[in-house]
Order: sequence, then structure tokens, then C-alpha cells
Amino acid sequence: MASLASVEAVTARGLRKQYGEQVALDGVDLTVRRGTVHGLLGPNGAGKTTLLRVLLGLVRPDAGSVEVAGTVGGFVETPGAYPYLTGRQNLAHLAALDDEPGDVEEVLQRVGLADRADTRVRGWSLGMRQRLGIAAGLIRRPDVLVLDEPANGLDPVGALALRSLVHELAHDGLTVLLCSHDLHEVDALADDVTVLVAGRVVWGGTTTELRGRPGASLLSTSDDALAQRLAGELDVQPHQSGSLLVRATTAELDGYVLELARRGVAVRELVREGLPLEQAFLELAT
Amino acid sequence: MRTLPWELRKLVAQSRVRAAFVVCLLAPAAVALVLSVQSGLPKDTLFGRHVLTSGFALPLVLLSFCALWVFPLLAGLVAGEVFAGEDAHGTWPALLTRGRTRGEVFTGKLVAACLVPVALLATAALSSLAAGVALAGREPLVSLSGSTLGPGRAAVLVLLSWATAVPPLLGFCALAVLLSVVSRSTVVGVAGPALLGLVMQLLSLLGSLGTSSNALLTTPFLAWRGLVREDAYYGPLWQGALVSLGWAVACLVPARLVLLRRDVS
Repeated sequence: MASLASVEAVTARGLRKQYGEQVALDGVDLTVRRGTVHGLLGPNGAGKTTLLRVLLGLVRPDAGSVEVAGTVGGFVETPGAYPYLTGRQNLAHLAALDDEPGDVEEVLQRVGLADRADTRVRGWSLGMRQRLGIAAGLIRRPDVLVLDEPANGLDPVGALALRSLVHELAHDGLTVLLCSHDLHEVDALADDVTVLVAGRVVWGGTTTELRGRPGASLLSTSDDALAQRLAGELDVQPHQSGSLLVRATTAELDGYVLELARRGVAVRELVREGLPLEQAFLELAT
Repeated sequence: MRTLPWELRKLVAQSRVRAAFVVCLLAPAAVALVLSVQSGLPKDTLFGRHVLTSGFALPLVLLSFCALWVFPLLAGLVAGEVFAGEDAHGTWPALLTRGRTRGEVFTGKLVAACLVPVALLATAALSSLAAGVALAGREPLVSLSGSTLGPGRAAVLVLLSWATAVPPLLGFCALAVLLSVVSRSTVVGVAGPALLGLVMQLLSLLGSLGTSSNALLTTPFLAWRGLVREDAYYGPLWQGALVSLGWAVACLVPARLVLLRRDVS
């Protein structure tokens, strides 16, 4: 891996990785802007974890290249720890292997583990181990932090604290590459998103752009027949619920609703099916 | 070698390694206690008939026993866990995303995996000597050639005899490292060397290998017998050291390559 002098924190080109007959990565290109939170989305088996492993240098790609500006830290899947050592000793061990590590106490405070740091990890919950995993990434003082399902095992309060921590880290200039199944989490945290399906990038861009993709809404009006005729180029179809199914971007939907009002068609109900990001993801991933 | 101190701390923090130190420290005293109260002597073992007449006989009896059964187990117990333990705990990703190269990590672990078994051997050697002296005093020892060895010379020869077990012990450590790295299983890494040691002992006993049995890793454990006699001979010692070195190289080169090239999942 070489350093980049530009605004990109991570640049991967043409990454390919195959395990036997199974293609995990099939020519993946990825660009992560410095100082942003970049969400990595995709269904199970899409190649997300393999991609993260390649970025962390744990897996050697069969083809392609990766460039990371500075150091990279973090974890993939469930972070491991030495059960016979305390949390503090686990972190101190990892810190001893780095040239300019962060302060163990400060990192423990940051992830909310300072109170339990002197107990052995053996009895820790999954949520605490997740936080220790984040701490293990942070102790390296990385330029790029890779987090794979970081909210796994965290209770709602812990998940909220994690989101605030990631926001804080990004605010401090750290680049975060976040892989998550939780679209609400990605929606709340990510600036950019890459969607992987079957080892290929099917979409990449900002979350705003992703939200701008056509989504599905159920529309109920005072005159559905007229509403359908007024749709123009919009995809408006009768739905089994008795409403109209409208596929449109947010901007298109706004224009359509205003047009209906102008033509005297009252909008009685308008329900978007899930989060815009969720809709877009499902469209891309299925 | 920045990886070494923590590899040592990790090993010493594990209960089975601590238990091994306790056993190496106390087991010789327990054996001495049993011998002091029972009527019979372990006459079938070298120096067995002298354990109540010279304090330097017991450590040599225990050395014979350890060479057969204990040293391969010690090697597996420590070195077999050092690498596969990272797989078991899922800690390879955290360990290999640090500022150290895989080669450095391998070296630190290897040195730790060798130092701790040697420390266990040293503990067993000293506690055996202490237990022997406590049992039978610092009386002269009758050597294998029939001569009498004074207390000072006998003590030195006892410690040197234990020291001759270090090369094959390290050979078994290398074997444990290979099994541990390749299998990624602590069970294979820990039990493998002991089982292979047993197979080698059986092959030696059957005698079907002829002079080829000299290439077995268990054979160098017998080299100490050339030392405890008036007309000492060192051929088996050098041969054992070369055999141990051969095994170590044959195990460590592929183990290192596997670790350097493997995908960590």
C-alpha cells in the first residue's frame, strides 16, 4: 500500500478475490474521501467483509491495487480479544506493537470502558467486546478507521453512543469506513455510500444522491383516475391496497403532489415505503 | 523484537502455563516424597537403584521420564498455543493491523514459544536436583561406567544432562509451531507434538528403523547418557543437536511461509 497525497483516503482499483469457485470480489473500485464517513452496504455474501480485509491488509487480493493515505485500523466481523487479559492489558498489548500509539486511558474513556478496563475480557458481553474492538482500532491513531457492524450487540443506548462517537471521530478528521446492515445507522452516519452486490460495486455516491433515487410511495387521492392521468412520465400504477403506487425521487414526488393540488385533486394520504435509503438499497441489492 | 515481551506476558497469563510451572516446581518433591515412604525402587530406570543413596540420582531418573513423556507435552502446551491461540480468540486481525510486519510477529512468537518451555525445563531441573538432595543428601553418585562422582562434579553433570534436552525440546517447539500455524487449531498444536513424540518412541522401541532412528526427534533426549560416566563421549550429543536443528529448520521454514502468505479470515 502506498500513500496518497490527494483528498482520497482510500483508493482501490480492480480488486478481485476468489476463494475456490466463489468470487468474493469481482473488479471492485472504491474511493473513500478523506475525513468522511463512508458506508459500505450490501446483502450477505456481497463481498463487504472481504473488501474490508483487503483494505486492512489481512487478505491478499488476486488482482487490483489498494492505496491508503496513512495508517488503517479497525476490525472485521466480531473483534477478537485475549480472554485471559484485562481490557486494559489487551489494549496495552496492541499499543506496544505500534510506533506512535494513542493513550490507553484516553481511548478507554472514549469508548466508555474505563470502569471495566481492569476486569478480564472473559466475562465481557458482546457489546463490551465491540467497544474494545473500536478501542483497538483507535489506539493505533489511524487515519482510516474500518468498522464492520460496530453496533452488533450494543443496546440502544450503546448504539446511540457509538453513533455519537463516529460523528466525533469524523469531526476530528478521521476517515471512517463503516460496514453495516443497519440502514438507519448508515443513513444517520454516512456521507458517502458504496453498494456491493455479488462482489461488484452496483452503486457509489453520496447518501444525498442515493436518497435522490426513485423510491416507492403509496398515494391516496380524491380522484385516483385523474391522478394517474396527470402522472405524465412518472411511474404511477394502481396498487393492490387500493392506493396508487408512485415511483419517484423526492423532488419528482414534490412536483407531482403540487400538480395534483393545482388540478384540484386532493391528496388524502401519502406514505413512503421505508427510508429513502432503504428503498434505494433494496432496489440496488435485489 | 517488540512483540516478544507481550508474547511472554500472554503466555504467563494463561492458567495452563502457570499450572505447568507449578507442576515442574512441585512434582519432583512429590516423587521424592513417594520414594521416601515406599519400599521399592525404580530399578528398571537408569540410576533408579541409587535414588536413596545419592541425591544426584533422582534428577537423572526424572530426566529419563521427562524425556519420554513430558518434554514433547511441554513443547505442545506452550508452542502449540502461541499461534493457534490467535485463531481461537479471533485476534489475528487486531495483531496484524499494527505497526509490525508478519515476519516480526512470527519471530516474537517463536522466541516466546521457545523461551517458556526452556524456562519450564530449567525449573524442573533445579527442583529435581533440590528434591533429590533433600531425599538422599549430597552423597557421591556412581556413574554409568561404575566410577564414583563427587558431589560437585555430579551436580554439574546433572545440570548438563538436563541441558542436553534443550535442543530436542526446541525441535519439538518448532514442530508444535508448524502444527499450530498450519492447522490453526490449539488441540492439534498442543496434542500433536506429544502424540508424534509417542509415535517416535514406539518406532525406536520396535527397532525397525535401524540407524535411521537417530533422525527421530526423540533420540537426542538420550544423549545425556554419554556424559554421566568417567569416559564421557559426546558423539550422540552433537548428532542430537544436528538432528534437532534439522527438525527445527524443516518445521519453521514452512511455518513462517504459511503465516506470511495466509489470508486472515
